[in-house]
Amino acid sequence: MKKHLFVITCALLAVGSVYLAADDHYEKHNAQRYEKTAAEDAVTSGGQKRSTAPVETTSARLYKNECGACHMAYQPGLLPRASWTRMMVSLGDHFGTDATLEPADAAELAAYLDANAYVSAPSSKHMARIAKSVSADAPMQISQAGYFVKEHRRIPQRAIVQPDVKSLANCNACHTKAENGSYREREIFIPNYGRWDD
Amino acid sequence: MKSILIAVVCASSLMAASPEVGNYMQQLQTEASEPFDAARGEALFTAEQIGKKGTKIACTSCHGSDLTQKGKNVNTGKIIDALSPGANPARLTSLKEVKKWLRRNFKDVYNREGTAQEKGDVLTYIMQYR
Repeated sequence: MKKHLFVITCALLAVGSVYLAADDHYEKHNAQRYEKTAAEDAVTSGGQKRSTAPVETTSARLYKNECGACHMAYQPGLLPRASWTRMMVSLGDHFGTDATLEPADAAELAAYLDANAYVSAPSSKHMARIAKSVSADAPMQISQAGYFVKEHRRIPQRAIVQPDVKSLANCNACHTKAENGSYREREIFIPNYGRWDD
Repeated sequence: MKSILIAVVCASSLMAASPEVGNYMQQLQTEASEPFDAARGEALFTAEQIGKKGTKIACTSCHGSDLTQKGKNVNTGKIIDALSPGANPARLTSLKEVKKWLRRNFKDVYNREGTAQEKGDVLTYIMQYR
């Protein structure tokens, strides 16, 4: 009997580790795919020759500089087009602050977001699931999307509200590669708390 | 009036803002009734107001009270580079940036656009900060 239990335990452990490795591989593969397609997208929309080196369009740079001045420049693929459209017409009251831009910059960013929003963007699996589950009540809040809420439900409040994190909107406080569009579980490190694994 | 303009031009050149920002200050000065004053700018910069969100806020809420040090966005926690051109030579070099942030930040803190006088006073305070 003991021997059987031992065999079963070993088998379960083996299956578990294969599953974890596969999941990790999937996440890694997805992150790479995202980076690759984003780079290709940048090249083609720039109207230049294809190259293997990632090229950043002026619109992408504008997005990072303008939106990224106050908070992480959330990947456009995290929200559907309708959300970004609404965002761009309400910059005068952007989550309680004035985020207005010069008309030319606003127009360029609106076009960039429309072209790279969830519907057409090379979203990763997780980003697509977030965009698909955006709440109708809060269409501009990534952190209110159903899938996002579900994925973050077990994180203790104290780990979130601490000054080094502030809120769940601060992706890169814990997702160490969030700015590159990678949200792999392995890359999570919660300040003053440690790694996170569920 | 002419002497004020000359004083502003000389002061701006000493304070290492870009020529376009210097020109902008001259233009603001023609719309303002008093010569720009750093002490008035400091008062504007540090006074707590009921801001756009309906809660207490000052320019220092994000920029801190020592402009040679980095600040932190009070809403998002994002680090803000030092505002003093002495500590951060990139400051006050782009007119587009200067105009954008004066517009936005006055609205966030004072719930309205700043006047030419107020903008000039605040810019003078930032330039002269040591």
